[in-house]
Amino acid sequence: MGRGATTNSIPEIENARFILVIGSNTTEAHPVLALRMKKAARNGATLVVADPRKIWLTKLAKRHLQLRPGSDVWLLNAIMHVILREGLQDDAYIAEHTEDFDAVAEVVARYTPEEAEQVTGVPAADIVATAREYARERYAAIFYTLGITEHACAVDNIWSLSNLVLMTGHLGYESTGLNALRGQNNVQGLNDAGANPSYLPGYQPLEDPELRRKFGERWGVEVPETPGYRLDQMMSGLHDGRIKALYLIGENPVQTEPNAHHVEEGMEGLDFVVAQDLFLNDSNRRYADVIFPASSFAEKEGTFTNTERRVNRVRKAVPCPGNAREDLRIVVDMAKALGADWPDYRTPEDAWNEFADLAPLWSGIRYDRIEEVGLQWPCTDRDHPGSPYLHAPHPSRPSGKGKFYPVEYQPPIEQPDSEYPFVLSTGRTLYHYNSATMTMREEGVVQKQEDPFVEMHPEDARALGVAEGDWVRLVSRRGELEARAKLGDRVYPGLVWMALHFAEAKVNWLTHDVGDPLIGTPEYKTSAVRVERVGGAIRPAAR
Amino acid sequence: MIRVGDTMIPMARTVAFTLDGQPASAPEGELLVHAAARHGVFIPTLCHDDKLEPYGGCRMCVVGVEGSPRPLPACATRVAEGMVVSTDSSVPQYQRTLTEMLLAEHLNPDPGGRPNELVDLAEELAAEAPFILPDAKREPYDDRNRFMGYDPDACILCNRCVRYTQEVMQCSALSLEGRGPHARIVPTHGYSWLDTECELCGGCLSACPTGAIYEKFEEGTERPERTLEKVKSTCTFCGVGCQIDLNVDPETQRIVKVTSEPHYVSNEGNLCVKGRFAFNFVHHPDRLTEPLVRGEDGELHPTTWEHAFRVAAEGLLRVKEEHGPQAIGVLSSARLTMEENFLIQKLARTALGTNSVHSCEAT
Repeated sequence: MGRGATTNSIPEIENARFILVIGSNTTEAHPVLALRMKKAARNGATLVVADPRKIWLTKLAKRHLQLRPGSDVWLLNAIMHVILREGLQDDAYIAEHTEDFDAVAEVVARYTPEEAEQVTGVPAADIVATAREYARERYAAIFYTLGITEHACAVDNIWSLSNLVLMTGHLGYESTGLNALRGQNNVQGLNDAGANPSYLPGYQPLEDPELRRKFGERWGVEVPETPGYRLDQMMSGLHDGRIKALYLIGENPVQTEPNAHHVEEGMEGLDFVVAQDLFLNDSNRRYADVIFPASSFAEKEGTFTNTERRVNRVRKAVPCPGNAREDLRIVVDMAKALGADWPDYRTPEDAWNEFADLAPLWSGIRYDRIEEVGLQWPCTDRDHPGSPYLHAPHPSRPSGKGKFYPVEYQPPIEQPDSEYPFVLSTGRTLYHYNSATMTMREEGVVQKQEDPFVEMHPEDARALGVAEGDWVRLVSRRGELEARAKLGDRVYPGLVWMALHFAEAKVNWLTHDVGDPLIGTPEYKTSAVRVERVGGAIRPAAR
Repeated sequence: MIRVGDTMIPMARTVAFTLDGQPASAPEGELLVHAAARHGVFIPTLCHDDKLEPYGGCRMCVVGVEGSPRPLPACATRVAEGMVVSTDSSVPQYQRTLTEMLLAEHLNPDPGGRPNELVDLAEELAAEAPFILPDAKREPYDDRNRFMGYDPDACILCNRCVRYTQEVMQCSALSLEGRGPHARIVPTHGYSWLDTECELCGGCLSACPTGAIYEKFEEGTERPERTLEKVKSTCTFCGVGCQIDLNVDPETQRIVKVTSEPHYVSNEGNLCVKGRFAFNFVHHPDRLTEPLVRGEDGELHPTTWEHAFRVAAEGLLRVKEEHGPQAIGVLSSARLTMEENFLIQKLARTALGTNSVHSCEAT
């Protein structure tokens, strides 16, 4: 549709009348935003949850579409099939604001709800009911997160959702839209800022020579033309010799990247590694040649941009410990050590202003306007009030029209077989944050959730002779780990689920690293594993 | 017109009423407590919370309404045409008596110097406990969780915490249990906070008007909570961007607790377990405090910033010289600010000469 951001705002959620949550365990990953969904449900909105697991929100949901991991395209195409079959699409919107509708209509005609039931496991009647409810309700909003994108078919999934939204015209006004909930505090800001191999700051394409010239003039050096490597390309570059040095800032790839043992081998072959972090972690401890002690969010000024595109201030409350320094200072001094001729950047505001001068959609946002309440981009001049929702009055692509992309189903890359009979899906929990270097240092959190655990269905556990709390071994083609079995019907038989937070049982030892062919997103959500009993409730010796 | 759900309905019509002898107006159906506040008449409340459904439990907000046989709670009474409301006759006496009755139920209504609406109200009304009820001592409650404590002696049983769990979280983590002097708030079924469906969000303690439910971090610190300095910032644990106040002890320069306000945009004062409680990593002894450089022995050694920058620059420039700028990758982080990320990509593009700058938040 033309923008990499949520279309609508958090406060609007409570006024939605229909909410589809697909691939988002919102109460754990975005707990405070989930309160708005709870409020909407309490006010009578229809909530439908599409997720392989029986997540907390299913308690409030009118319907749980418990689809098999990786079958989202089938489900969504079947929903669209019903909408078109019953004539529930918004013909006026399609005619006026979209292009290439026919291509999608042709594809989804083949995706019947009855066949969808075979592939996804979701009853055809539930697909039909969901399609009707979604299409008929004007204030209908869709929320998704990594359950949609952490697949080899990530782009297909997003296109499918986008097709569904365009077909029904659920775009460009309040309490509707297609909302990708951003996982980390400043994912939105990081992408907006241009930490991206093919976009200059503000999503300005690197390939455009005019734009490169604009930035080059402001920066006093030519901006290199060669596109950079994406994360997944850097990771594969570790092995084929393309990458010889890494500068790692707040990153821990040997825990967070898929097929992590393979990443470790690659890191060992590097000539030089610079790291900048709050703590030692498995990446910097073993591979860094230099480590800069950095600052936490409480020790500096600046901004984070949240999932609704709101630029919020971050403020310094306490000093950095010891000789640790604010990251901005470190980066500026590092650039100078590399011989760059940079301005002083005495404050983060100096850096912000340079960004806002160069990025038109942000140029109206300045520090003096966001002291009390953050502003939402696009905000193009100082009098612009910010944008609570996007794509009004029409989709934001240059043509002004939303584009339909026909999508065919591709099965997940690794299917269970006799040797690895379980599907492993991964995610995060309420109590920890990513590789948990921060939250495992919080006693009260550890009290609630300390040991690595794997969710499995009691039927599977019985077959394996495993009881609640027993340690089991998970083995994939790439690695193995041990975790406690947590039994329950959150997963269905044949599916196991594990969180990524545990350093001693890194689930990414198991995951595979074949990602989406277009954007490289790893398929964290489906791998094949087998589960072995390891002898009861006694913790195995430390690895 | 305003929208309620999917239907547009006419704006509530404005009704005229009388407040302390003065003509006043309000949208029909507005709570009396809000309508009065807009006219500059502030009616004290204890059990009322704008996040929650009207409750009218503590009666602190009673006002006189002509034609009503007894005073009505302003927090649960809606304005109607022609209503004649008085807050200035017998009302202050009611409030004082109610405050005294509440104070009489506590051995120590003000433990820990926590923000306490009852104590503030008593001061304002010059109310003191006339006596302490013989059964005022409520059995203390101990919970093994590390985040929250409950002090039954400071509890006025307003039920705000229980209602928060039911209405906002929509869970059943807490209940009001027992009667009379034995009444207290407990995790449902008498379990520990850790063993119910409680998610440790701390919403109950943010709803508590008297500090009866409190952050355990406060234990052992001398400084009364009311003297902490607040620095407004943005939470760092997910993409919602909850607005928070870091409460800092000005002497030790440490964050003591995290709070939020109902008027903060995006989160309305609500927080989750990480946002409210998981800030101690900031002060953790494992934090890196010196630059480190790997020596000939393969170990990391502390060094000066100057030396660290020199080694880092030499190493990166050597790789650039031998293999070209494309051989260097920069991985940035969504943990960092917008401004830092902007400069990191600028460093990659200008100082190193590569567009290879990305992060694990590629998704």
